[in-house]
Amino acid sequence: MRGERQSQRTRRARLRRRVQSRRKRARRRRARKALQALTTSALALPGLAGGAAAQSREERFTSEYAYSFYSEDALPRSKVTAGGETDRYQIQTHQLRFAAPIADRLDLGLDVAYETMSGATPWYVVPDADGDALQVMTGASIEEARTDALLRGSYHFDSGQASLAGGASFENDYLAFNGLLEGERHFNEKNTTLSGGIGFSIDRLEPTDADLDPLRPTKQHRQNISAFVGISQVMGRGAAIQSSLTYQHARGFLSDPYKRVLVEGTPIADSRPDARNQLAWLTRYRQHVSPLAGTLHADYRFYVDDWQITSHTLELAWYQSLWWSLRLIPSVRYYSQSQAAFYGPWFDLPRADGLYSSDYRLSPYGALSWRLRAETAFSTWRIDWRASLSWERYLSSADLALGKVAIENPGLVSFNLFSIGLTARF
Amino acid sequence: MRRSVLLLWLLAPALLGTGCAAVKPWEREILARDDMAWDPDVLEAQRQAHVYFSKEASLAGGGAGGGGCGCN
Repeated sequence: MRGERQSQRTRRARLRRRVQSRRKRARRRRARKALQALTTSALALPGLAGGAAAQSREERFTSEYAYSFYSEDALPRSKVTAGGETDRYQIQTHQLRFAAPIADRLDLGLDVAYETMSGATPWYVVPDADGDALQVMTGASIEEARTDALLRGSYHFDSGQASLAGGASFENDYLAFNGLLEGERHFNEKNTTLSGGIGFSIDRLEPTDADLDPLRPTKQHRQNISAFVGISQVMGRGAAIQSSLTYQHARGFLSDPYKRVLVEGTPIADSRPDARNQLAWLTRYRQHVSPLAGTLHADYRFYVDDWQITSHTLELAWYQSLWWSLRLIPSVRYYSQSQAAFYGPWFDLPRADGLYSSDYRLSPYGALSWRLRAETAFSTWRIDWRASLSWERYLSSADLALGKVAIENPGLVSFNLFSIGLTARF
Repeated sequence: MRRSVLLLWLLAPALLGTGCAAVKPWEREILARDDMAWDPDVLEAQRQAHVYFSKEASLAGGGAGGGGCGCN
């Protein structure tokens, strides 16, 4: 009897110890989570840890992969010269990104992209008997591959960070080396961040089949330098705004070696100025709406250059958090640009400066695109995962332009873009 | 045109700074959410910037640098 009581007392004591131990562990977990949340919130503030272009401080190893399939709509037969190719470009892209803290204040990131491209592209434009524009397409389907890599190192100070990056892009007809140096500095109890940076790119072109086409150059070069300044401001507990100015100066061979333009009835080589000054003013706003568990992203960009192109871009996205860590993100983007000074679908008279282009990318038009993205987050084996799926539809036409367009370029592009992505943090 | 853009941009910090009470570190739980980041998905942002840069005449903006490409 006494033995039984003794045994019951022992069991109760063990049970009490277990419960106390569980409570202690739960308290420690809560404290750890609170500390983690505070640390994260102090470091990962939009516009504070991440400036106008810089990324936030890496606290864990991050590995990301994304696959995307880009497919341009075939051109309507009515917009292409008789017998011409109507199918256009398709691009498959694989993107990889690794980022890791390698020392207390230092992290490294590597971005690699590999893409394969195939299809026909617009060559030049001719008028039909009624004066409407018809697209002449490149005859053969182009098969190309591009590899792009960028290595970035970032050093974090108490009140800012500095990053240095260098990369290269390889194609069989195009080689580019680029680098950038950027930094940011926090002020006003980290509610304001100033950022800035400079970058360059040195490119070499060796157009394919230059020996078969007398209008195509054999080897050319171009370079560009760019600089940006930005400011980010926390507007409240759930609102932040960022504004940045980016300037780029490009010089060298800026024409498209694969395009022609019809001048006085004869197709000649695309010919653009050998310098270009561009300026982009980008303003971004983030507003979280707690009752709806959603966040609004609103971006506006004004662009102007000395080829006399101006453009306006407005993009709105809504990040809606749902159940089971699921998030749906619908977004819409509107874009409108004016034409370059030396653009025309074709030229009946020669220009005094000898500059000509009928590239649809320099034509006046507007574009509307919408995107739907779904993403979810989950954890397994101490790894935090995020999986995403997205689809974008992009339509461009002269009717969507802000100004009136006399003749729509028949080569304007419409496309679908499908993407899947997976991110692991450990 | 470019002068007025520059002037507007220089005035922006003053406009932004006014009327904003400083948010303390312990009040930044919402600001730290991943959907409050300027680019919540870096790869997606890179991909879209590349597509728009290849198909439109404008500069992406928001940063310096960026590699060249043939981009037909």
